[in-house]
Amino acid sequence: MSAKPILIVGGGPAGLSAAHAAARAGREVVLVDKADRLGGAPILQGYAKLVPSHEWARDAIGGMVTRVAQNPNVTIHTGAEVQLFEGEPGAFTATLKDGRKIAAESAILATGFTHFDSLNKPEWGFGTYPDVVTTVQVEQMISSGQGIRCPSDGRVPDRVAILLCVGSRDRQIGREWCSKICCTVSANIAMEIRELSPRTNVYIYYMDIRTFGLYEGDYYWRSQEEAKVKYIKARIAEVTSDGQRLVVKGEDTLVKRPITIPFDMVVHAIGMDPNVDNMTLSAVFGVALNRYGYIDKATPYAGLAQTSRPGVYVCGAATGPETIDDSIAQGQAAAMSALNRAGTVLMNAAE
Amino acid sequence: MPIHEKSLIRPENLVTNDSLVIDGVDVSGHWSTFIRARTITDYNEAMEEEIAALPGGENIHRCWQCGSCTNACTVNAVNPEFNPRYWIYLIRQGLEEELLRDKDIIWQCVSCNKCTYACPRDVVPEGVMKATAHWLELKGHTPKSPSTHFDESFHDSIVRTGKIEEGRILLEFLKKTGQPLRQPWLEALVRGLVKRFPVFYLMRMGWNTVMRPRTRGWRRAGAAIEDYVQERKAGQARALGLDQEA
Repeated sequence: MSAKPILIVGGGPAGLSAAHAAARAGREVVLVDKADRLGGAPILQGYAKLVPSHEWARDAIGGMVTRVAQNPNVTIHTGAEVQLFEGEPGAFTATLKDGRKIAAESAILATGFTHFDSLNKPEWGFGTYPDVVTTVQVEQMISSGQGIRCPSDGRVPDRVAILLCVGSRDRQIGREWCSKICCTVSANIAMEIRELSPRTNVYIYYMDIRTFGLYEGDYYWRSQEEAKVKYIKARIAEVTSDGQRLVVKGEDTLVKRPITIPFDMVVHAIGMDPNVDNMTLSAVFGVALNRYGYIDKATPYAGLAQTSRPGVYVCGAATGPETIDDSIAQGQAAAMSALNRAGTVLMNAAE
Repeated sequence: MPIHEKSLIRPENLVTNDSLVIDGVDVSGHWSTFIRARTITDYNEAMEEEIAALPGGENIHRCWQCGSCTNACTVNAVNPEFNPRYWIYLIRQGLEEELLRDKDIIWQCVSCNKCTYACPRDVVPEGVMKATAHWLELKGHTPKSPSTHFDESFHDSIVRTGKIEEGRILLEFLKKTGQPLRQPWLEALVRGLVKRFPVFYLMRMGWNTVMRPRTRGWRRAGAAIEDYVQERKAGQARALGLDQEA
């Protein structure tokens, strides 16, 4: 069999899953990642315990990395980017930035997302006050073992506010989508904070709570009923400081009253932006983006993981905000589509 | 700008100056109307735990403000100011001042338990109302309610004799709640008893009323009950921070 390898771009949960699936089915796989190591956001950003398994990211996703790295069918190029992608389905050629050429039967884009940069919402104090942090920073505080501490002076906060929908559902900054995971992640983080520091009270300021599906019970309800996390329906207007503590201003819509509440730490539940490289990816691979800037899926039903270009597939958060477990499922679906395509070609040749 | 939603503003927060001149411009009367800010500036984090420490209030932290309780509420149908959903919210956030504005209607819950069966999170709002009324009394915000007076007489009777002395409890209740002892229905009841009861029973009833005999072996049982009740009361006082004040 002289079949060419399947090119997979991106080594996060979706890419690792696609690589594993295709390689296990006996295909050669070339896995390219621009970072210096595999694992994607959960590894590179230092996530703590994952939803819904509560496993540490370094164990769960790290295990996926090891599994792919040890598979003889997989060739890995880290610190590499595709500069040119030419040819037809079954006979693509990818040229990396360093000039190396890779012949590929098909390509799977698992290029993921970029976290929203909170500096784009200056009214919420990120970048101005050191004790305003993001969910990613809290994940790092937990995964590094340093615990929940105010960056300004290292004290354990008495009171933490988590602001939902930072960088999501906001026309003012051109982001109309729900980032899907932040409610559940925030509930998870809130429970972690309460566990690490029972005297710390955690308040979540929300517009709607979207802990979809079974996360309702395990995250939303459990955070309220067992961890006593408080949910307040208010979109915060601004975060300032009285010189001692942070001051969160907004309207408590359920009592129709303005609030100015002191907090020790404010956490932005940042959303998922399209990968900052999506314009480049779109040009290099000749795939269309949707109106939000994510890589467009050609059809939601007939062909899984297809992009606008035949022979190029997409999976995971490259297509829009996505959970880790769904990204993994989509990685397998993309691998299946790529394998199907290759199989069809072989069968046609045999006839 | 005219204030369009005056109904949302408490009258005491609307301020108008009868004569006011700013920079030579006369803005007397409604031109100078402004609304005093009633910003919430902090949460009293102890309040939810205080209510949760009283019987019935245990599940208050589950509430997610759907309003099923208020929609189901019998009393709310008569008085729209009676809003369990809202009070639960005030307690959870610790907005004590706001809750106290409604202290004179909170006890009016009739315990029909329609909210209990409507609540999707099993908060048991009826229990929370009971706990809240109890909290208001313990904190001294409201006088003892009729049902507290009744409970106390009932409790005294049990602890003392091991019996429910209905006549005594009823009379004490009427006395404590300032109601006339001569009630037409009560007189009719007594007349009926006197007419129909065998003389022997009437004599025995009279003797019991005067002598107050105890159930056999009641001394220890009554003391144990009393100990338990005192222990619970002390626990509640501790939870409410009332023991330090005393």
